[in-house]
Amino acid sequence: MSGKKTKEALDRRGFIKVVSLGGAAAAASVAPGLVTPAEAYDPGKEETKGRYRETDHVKAFYRTNGY
Amino acid sequence: MARMKFLCDADRCIECNACVTACKNENEVPWGINRRRVVTINDGKPGERSISMACMHCTDAPCAAVCPVDCFYTTVDKVVLHSKDLCIGCGYCFYACPFGAPQYPKVGNFGSRGKMDKCTFCAGGPEADLSPAEFQKYGSNRLAEGKLPLCAEMCSTKALLAGDGDIIAKIYKERVVKRGYGSGAWGWKTAYKETIAI
Repeated sequence: MSGKKTKEALDRRGFIKVVSLGGAAAAASVAPGLVTPAEAYDPGKEETKGRYRETDHVKAFYRTNGY
Repeated sequence: MARMKFLCDADRCIECNACVTACKNENEVPWGINRRRVVTINDGKPGERSISMACMHCTDAPCAAVCPVDCFYTTVDKVVLHSKDLCIGCGYCFYACPFGAPQYPKVGNFGSRGKMDKCTFCAGGPEADLSPAEFQKYGSNRLAEGKLPLCAEMCSTKALLAGDGDIIAKIYKERVVKRGYGSGAWGWKTAYKETIAI
């Protein structure tokens, strides 16, 4: 009885060892070239262009706020 | 080059909250978010003042400094905008902002608040100008239409000024000289590292 238990325990340990070794191997197999560094958001010129224009509408706003 | 700024003349603000309502309507801001709000200090006491507050589009914006995904960018007009495609809703910008401008559509913890939403100075976002995608995510782009933010344009007492910083500072100075007093340009020192002599 105790011999059977010991065998089961050994099988289980062996299984865990195999899984952990496989996981480590998988992690090591990721090629360094595939890991891309994080990049900051780089807005294009179109996104950051100036949209403000001193139109008649805007001039009227400035004028009426002077009162 | 014009530098866009907001200025709230606290001596004129009557706490009508029309700027808040106009902003919500113009930009179809979701439930639970107010891009602009009116703060009253010393309520009911002598010296009571109301200030309309939103994103001040800071020079060296603290929200951009703490963003872990760098989703903020500043336009040539010095309007601080962000990309909702990149935002992860972490909430760091909310804690960094001295004006409490960043808002979230949902109540939750890290990452479950949804995409951050804030005042865009009515300048839209990274999508093509005046496109439906831009409107859906960021609201209207009045700057591209040759207009200024609606909150300031429809202020009944002309308390809220928006536009070229030099011009609105001049308007404010003229008002202060004319009436002989002024409560200062609230938030200017925090946002733009400068103040207006009164």
